[in-house]
Amino acid sequence: MDLSSILNASLIYATFRSATPIIYAALCASLTQQADILNIGTEGIMLTGAFAAVAISYTTGSWVLAIIVAMLAGLLMAAIMAVANIKYGADICAIGMGINMFAIAITKFLMTSVFGMRGTFSNPDIVAIPRVVIPGLESIPFLNEVFNGWALTEWFVIVFIVLMWFLLFKTKWGLHLRSVGQYPMAAQTAGINVTSMKYQAILISGLIGGLAGAHLSLGYSRLFTENMTNNRGFMGVAAMFFGNAHPVWTSVGCLVFGLTDSIGARLQAYGIAAQLVLMLPYIVTIVVLSISMVSKYYTKKRRQSSLLLIR
Amino acid sequence: MVENIVEMENIIKNFGLVHAVKTGNFNLRKGEIHSLIGENGAGKSTMMKLLYGMYPIDGGSIKVRGQLLENLTPKIAIENGIGMVHQEFMLVENLTVLENIILGFEPTKGSVIDFDLARKTVTKFIEQYGMNVQLNKKVHQISVGEAQRVEIIKILTRGAEVIILDEPTAVLTPQEADRLFEIMENLKNDGKSIIFISHKLNEVMKVSDRITVMRHGDYMGTVKKEDTSPSELAKMMIGREVFLDLKKEKATPGEVICQVKDLWTSGNKETSKVRGISFDVRAGEIVGLAGIDGNGQSELVEAITGLRKIEKGSVTLDGKDITNLSPKKIRENGMTHIPEDRNLRGLNRQLTIKDNLLASRIDDKKFKHHFLRKDSSILEESNNLIGEFDIRPTDPETLLSSLSGGNAQKIVVAREISTVGNLLVAAQPTRGVDIGAIESIRSIIQEQKKKGIGIILISADLEEIISLSDRIIVIHEGHISGKIDVKDANEENLGLLMMGGKDTSREGLNLEGLNE
Amino acid sequence: MNNTIEKIVKVLLTIIVSFLVGAIFILIIDENPLDAYTALIEGAFSGKLMFGTTLANFTPLLLTSIAFAIAAKAGAFNVGVEGEIFLGGIAAAYIGINWTFLPAPLLYVACFAGAIIVGAAWAWIPGVLKAYYNVSEVCTTILMNTVAVYLTSYLVNGPMSGGGVNAQSADVAVTLKQFMRPSSANVGIIISIIVSILIIVMYYKTSFGFKLKSVGSNPSFSDCMGIDSKKIFVKAMMLSGAIGGLVGCIEVLGVHGYYLDNFATNLGINGMLAALIVKSNLVMCPPLAFFLAILRTGALRMQQSTGVPKSLVDTITAIFIIFATMDSLFNLDVFKKIKRKKPFDTKLAKGVK
Repeated sequence: MDLSSILNASLIYATFRSATPIIYAALCASLTQQADILNIGTEGIMLTGAFAAVAISYTTGSWVLAIIVAMLAGLLMAAIMAVANIKYGADICAIGMGINMFAIAITKFLMTSVFGMRGTFSNPDIVAIPRVVIPGLESIPFLNEVFNGWALTEWFVIVFIVLMWFLLFKTKWGLHLRSVGQYPMAAQTAGINVTSMKYQAILISGLIGGLAGAHLSLGYSRLFTENMTNNRGFMGVAAMFFGNAHPVWTSVGCLVFGLTDSIGARLQAYGIAAQLVLMLPYIVTIVVLSISMVSKYYTKKRRQSSLLLIR
Repeated sequence: MVENIVEMENIIKNFGLVHAVKTGNFNLRKGEIHSLIGENGAGKSTMMKLLYGMYPIDGGSIKVRGQLLENLTPKIAIENGIGMVHQEFMLVENLTVLENIILGFEPTKGSVIDFDLARKTVTKFIEQYGMNVQLNKKVHQISVGEAQRVEIIKILTRGAEVIILDEPTAVLTPQEADRLFEIMENLKNDGKSIIFISHKLNEVMKVSDRITVMRHGDYMGTVKKEDTSPSELAKMMIGREVFLDLKKEKATPGEVICQVKDLWTSGNKETSKVRGISFDVRAGEIVGLAGIDGNGQSELVEAITGLRKIEKGSVTLDGKDITNLSPKKIRENGMTHIPEDRNLRGLNRQLTIKDNLLASRIDDKKFKHHFLRKDSSILEESNNLIGEFDIRPTDPETLLSSLSGGNAQKIVVAREISTVGNLLVAAQPTRGVDIGAIESIRSIIQEQKKKGIGIILISADLEEIISLSDRIIVIHEGHISGKIDVKDANEENLGLLMMGGKDTSREGLNLEGLNE
Repeated sequence: MNNTIEKIVKVLLTIIVSFLVGAIFILIIDENPLDAYTALIEGAFSGKLMFGTTLANFTPLLLTSIAFAIAAKAGAFNVGVEGEIFLGGIAAAYIGINWTFLPAPLLYVACFAGAIIVGAAWAWIPGVLKAYYNVSEVCTTILMNTVAVYLTSYLVNGPMSGGGVNAQSADVAVTLKQFMRPSSANVGIIISIIVSILIIVMYYKTSFGFKLKSVGSNPSFSDCMGIDSKKIFVKAMMLSGAIGGLVGCIEVLGVHGYYLDNFATNLGINGMLAALIVKSNLVMCPPLAFFLAILRTGALRMQQSTGVPKSLVDTITAIFIIFATMDSLFNLDVFKKIKRKKPFDTKLAKGVK
């Protein structure tokens, strides 16, 4: 096995490429997590967004409009979740799973009944999110391979991570959101409307989830298939746990999953069974998640130990 | 004519079927310290939470500076110059002190929080009232006293003219409380009006200008301090004269039943880590563990009862080493336990009375045949206990969620007393229950002592400790700061020990040293 | 008793509302909802094949809903039943193919035991991770489902391949008797019903059942009473996993007679849906599972005789859940009077410990 053909320059982009949809999903989950809401529905929100994006791009030919509608579709799903959870007391895991099931079913239903497609929705008329070609970079071999031809939304995710960090830790809104998540009663006595903050968190996370879907179907690929998110939403949630809902650390978690995914894809060329390769990112996700939680447990235990003298 | 800054008239507040406030009347004059007193559940905290807009009122009117306020929310209350220091501090542990102070009222520069400006503003208040707080520390790193000062600064920076203090001394030593009273006096001299909620009559008599008494949700009257006496206030509060001083049974201690040797265990806070505590309990005596909440008593109890890992040292019960055994094994060895938090550990609100009464004995042969539960014996035993301990309602199938604090606590006591044991660990056995239940629970504990059971009593209530214990151990920051025989104990010397020694100026130093 | 009636009324209302929403979808695609629904219900009962298929669909649904619900009783959200079915199935197939040295009765026992053990062991992992280290079991079980799918798929395409064109194993040496042929209904249904009854009795009548309930509603209390909440949680997960494994075995021995790649897709998820709709009430799981089995079978007929795609049934089921999870949506006035309001907003009152 030739190691250099696995670990080469294009691996950097491959890693980033497969991580990006998960990063968007993870940021969607992080935002609600900051308000102490576990967004199990990330998967469904994302799937709905992915379908809406392809449907709109196909019908109108505009990727901008497609992204906007995808975000609105995500918002709609999130709104159902928000109302059910906050107003009608639905358990967040149950309603989240409900949303996921609904997303799978409704996208399948619409795909067959409205667009008459089965299994996969692909068509030359679907306009993808444009890829950015940096002029002059072609002549520099390494940089060209790594940086040229990224989808617009792949560049944007970097900006977006910084934006999220800024929003959460530098603005008034972020401070309010975190206080609502950590001690709602304290937030309430400070005059913050806790219910309204929770609604805002879920709804905005719906917009992000929709964007995640749009990127998946129009940036990462250019088609829609049944259940195409393929648990990326849940991997995002796992990354969120790994990064404690901090945008930067959460994204680092996603990159680990992305790396496994792209290394796995290369291993397949060496005759390793496809199934074993395909399950690799999932196993890594579980292992990374477990290790991060176990180490959190022991850090806490150590911090609380009486035998440890802080001095 | 004296100006009334707050006027609350004929306030009604119901929580479902519970009538928390039936006739709420209260007025506050500018520049006075006005105490609001009453038993647990008299509705005094609820009244003030209504004034602060935390719940909507069901009837009556609230006027501030003569202006009627409807649909009050905390935000509107704050805008009207009302600030409240809650019994449970409203501080977010993982945020810094500064972030907590400005929460909800952040100065901004563009879309960003202007922390420099915030720091400047807050520092001005800190200096004005001479309150020492560390703005950059996270809240979980500071002491209770400091957290309370943070709360006061927080409401001052929000422009509070009316300051509500909900049982502020419950978490303080007598000496710390004195310092709080000085701060209150300063605030009053500065023209602020203060509402002081308490049920400790001596404190109320010390600080108040006027006193309003509530009982069972009803307004009982307002008096000037000069015109009243503690006994008169007690009568207004309770409706009859009550002397909680039980005739103490003389202890005839027997063999050592429980031995705690150099015990170390983890703690949620640095100051609540237990480090090297040793003591004995003999059969037929009550050992009182005194201390301010959060100094390691809870952790100590958890370690002894098997709920928290003992990191060093040992516990023996009746000669047998029970260090780090499971709670089940420890119970089998004869320890019973009234946990301090009845809603968390003491009871399961979603189960019925009978299931709560017998939860610790479900695997007893008496209640189990092979795998199946014996419903008839379970019912029979529950009915017995309900009768014996006067629990109401009497239907064993009632869900616990509908019970009052006193009856709920009686279930905990009934369960633990009815289990045959040789050591009872009673943590805060009378916290948050009405006076009738306090009397009966205390006499039950006395009876257990007479039967020759060793008892460890943990209480934040010094009066309870002094009136029940035979020996008193004072705990401060996870160490034993003193052991006193009950004959020599009084609030003064216990208070000093609760602060960690005789030299009161050392308190601040200890804490800071440990946190850095 | 009032409480039970209230619950049943709520489920019925949920079903009605969901069908109404479904009708709107049908109208949107220009079909007749009444025709579609008639075909849907009729389809499940018309003829031996269709009714047999309904029963065959009911068998795994019943057990998976019970499996999800029993874990939920201890506070676990076990999405992993699906993965446990796959692994239980492959274990049963492996034993059924390779351990032919055993006499037939023992081989049955070995197949079932193997499937149950593998299912329980698989569920033990997320159970321990959640109980001792607070790793979200929702996340781990979902991800582990995918791992189980790929793992079994690898085995049946590689080492355990039956050698034919299809991705399936060799035939197992023992099978469960089928009836109402050509449907795949089999005696597994009897096993399902017996196991469900046992689980229900266990929950309501035994001390272990009480412990599950206690841990699910208040783990701190349970610990203090000498009931080890963490151990009970793990045991509940394992029990749930064991039932999942059992389903896998029944499907392999009863329906297929060999291990078929991807045979259990959505079996576990649909059981979870059934349990979620009745809020994990064990007694209400069987009727709901039966109802979903009817929908699933009828969906095919509906698709054939009208232009409504069968994915509509999934949509309606998902809408069920969305409505069913909303506790206070159908709080009828009659019940409202009895209900007490919570004295304090307990949701807000967490925070500083």
